[in-house]
Amino acid sequence: MNKAFRDKRTIFLMIFPGLAFLFFAMIMPIFLSIYYGMTDWPGIGPMNFVGLKNFREIILSDSVFWTSLGNAVKLTLVTLFLQNPLAVIVCIMILACRKNARFFRTVYYIPAIIPIVVTTKLWVGVFNPTYGLLNKFLSVIGLDFLATNWLSNPRTAVWSVILIVIWQGFGWAILFYYSGLVSIPNEFKEAALIDGAGGVKLYTKVILPLMMPVIRAVVIIALITCFKQMETVYLSTGGGPGNITQFLANYLYIKAFVSYEFGYGNALSILFVSISLLGTYLLIRFTRAKAGEY
Amino acid sequence: MKKNTNMVLKKVDREKAPLLTRLSRYKKPLLYTVMILIAIGQLFPLVWLINYSLLRSGELFGAQFIKWPDIPMWSNYVRAWIQGNIPRYFLNSIIVVCSSVLLTVICSFLLAYACTRMEWKLRSTVYGLVLLGMTIPIHATLLPNFMLFNRVGILDTYWGLIIPYTAFSLPFSTLIFSGFLSSFPRTFEESAMIDGCSMWGILARIIAPNTKPAVITVAIMAFVNNWNDFIMANTYISTQSLLTLPFSVIKFMGEYSGDYAAQFACMVFAAFPTLFLYAFLNKYITEGVTMTGIKG
Repeated sequence: MNKAFRDKRTIFLMIFPGLAFLFFAMIMPIFLSIYYGMTDWPGIGPMNFVGLKNFREIILSDSVFWTSLGNAVKLTLVTLFLQNPLAVIVCIMILACRKNARFFRTVYYIPAIIPIVVTTKLWVGVFNPTYGLLNKFLSVIGLDFLATNWLSNPRTAVWSVILIVIWQGFGWAILFYYSGLVSIPNEFKEAALIDGAGGVKLYTKVILPLMMPVIRAVVIIALITCFKQMETVYLSTGGGPGNITQFLANYLYIKAFVSYEFGYGNALSILFVSISLLGTYLLIRFTRAKAGEY
Repeated sequence: MKKNTNMVLKKVDREKAPLLTRLSRYKKPLLYTVMILIAIGQLFPLVWLINYSLLRSGELFGAQFIKWPDIPMWSNYVRAWIQGNIPRYFLNSIIVVCSSVLLTVICSFLLAYACTRMEWKLRSTVYGLVLLGMTIPIHATLLPNFMLFNRVGILDTYWGLIIPYTAFSLPFSTLIFSGFLSSFPRTFEESAMIDGCSMWGILARIIAPNTKPAVITVAIMAFVNNWNDFIMANTYISTQSLLTLPFSVIKFMGEYSGDYAAQFACMVFAAFPTLFLYAFLNKYITEGVTMTGIKG
């Protein structure tokens, strides 16, 4: 090939700016975090090196850490078994609307495009005990007794937060599954119809297996997103009441900036990255074999 | 005859592709009812938001489920605009987000070009590392970056946002560009090279104009993501006059906690820019989201 494509100087100039950004704002901080995570630094003042003490403490005796992981699991389960199947069904229905398909797809995606600050504060308003829409709605349909302070009642708080996240993510799931559905070649559908696989059977036996690669991608991304959840919690409950709705990302943030345990927060941060990377790796690894192709 | 219709169908948009099952007459209204109900579920909180933003603050506490104002209180919007400092925050958002979009487009384009068209030993390693960046949670970099930026002196400046915004937009942008560039035939550059064009000349005059759709997708994705960012601005910026638009909501709620109606008006302002973009550039956003998802 032409020499110009192997010119070291050109290659260097091409990759340098991008890599510099990544190194400065992504890679270096991770290593800094490992360092800070092994100290007892409050954020200002003197710093003592404490080795792996923070990590030991988090795993062995920090119940909030485990609550946070538990909440991530709850959110994941709801996403996986409620939001995603629902999204697939709705997508099939969107397709059935033919000419109006585009309209519905566009409308359903709107919540995902709005700043998270707005959607979250909006839902905080809906859940508000005095002027909130939800309690008003309950009283209109005669279910007053169910009315509560949704975000500070320990029994409803987690599920209210999860509802907000699910609502915002719904449009996103729709968009993905929809593009997966329309990209299945029509010949498959026609062939299946000729073979007499109509209605429900067509979907369960033909369409779903063909959609496996898409489902796999969506599920992986959804799980990672669930695990990374922070903004909604931060802006709605702040993890309260009493850390019941805590999520890992929010917890490390509060530890570092509110309770001035910067070292401890960084140790949480490192565990957070490790779990993210490991989780992604395992998910990709374990789902690879099962995905079909067309 | 059948062949004919097939030909026609191939020409029309895929969305209008024939659906497998035909709907019977009574199923159609049922389908549309369900679809509209879901649409209401997705949009109702937003309608409520606009509704409340037009009421008097006192009216919010009425027992009625939803109450349309007799006279819409546009003055709520005036108060939100002025007291919420919307113009300033809007300008900040524009400066920070547009700079990072520009940097993202240039850097990721070059990275993708080097990783797909150039020939060097470490290219797949570097490409893999860049894509690995997609799995790094923003939240895990907040604490160390806070200290790092402080040390370097960019904490609480525009650069303190432009740099991390760019960094976190790079991986998926590189992915989109790579997918696009790898479909170009080699002859593209070769013929230009024979004509004596330099590598950079080829990039600027031949490759870049041909990647326009990818540039638009990358730019819009980066724009929307960074525009909607809250947590980085919350961490790295403390000077009021440097905050970005989503903060108008937070600030306003803190300072005028009794003025509920104007708070809702403030939220409408904060939601408007991306909604506006979405209304016009829907196609590119949809494409960008699905591209990063399916290939990632």
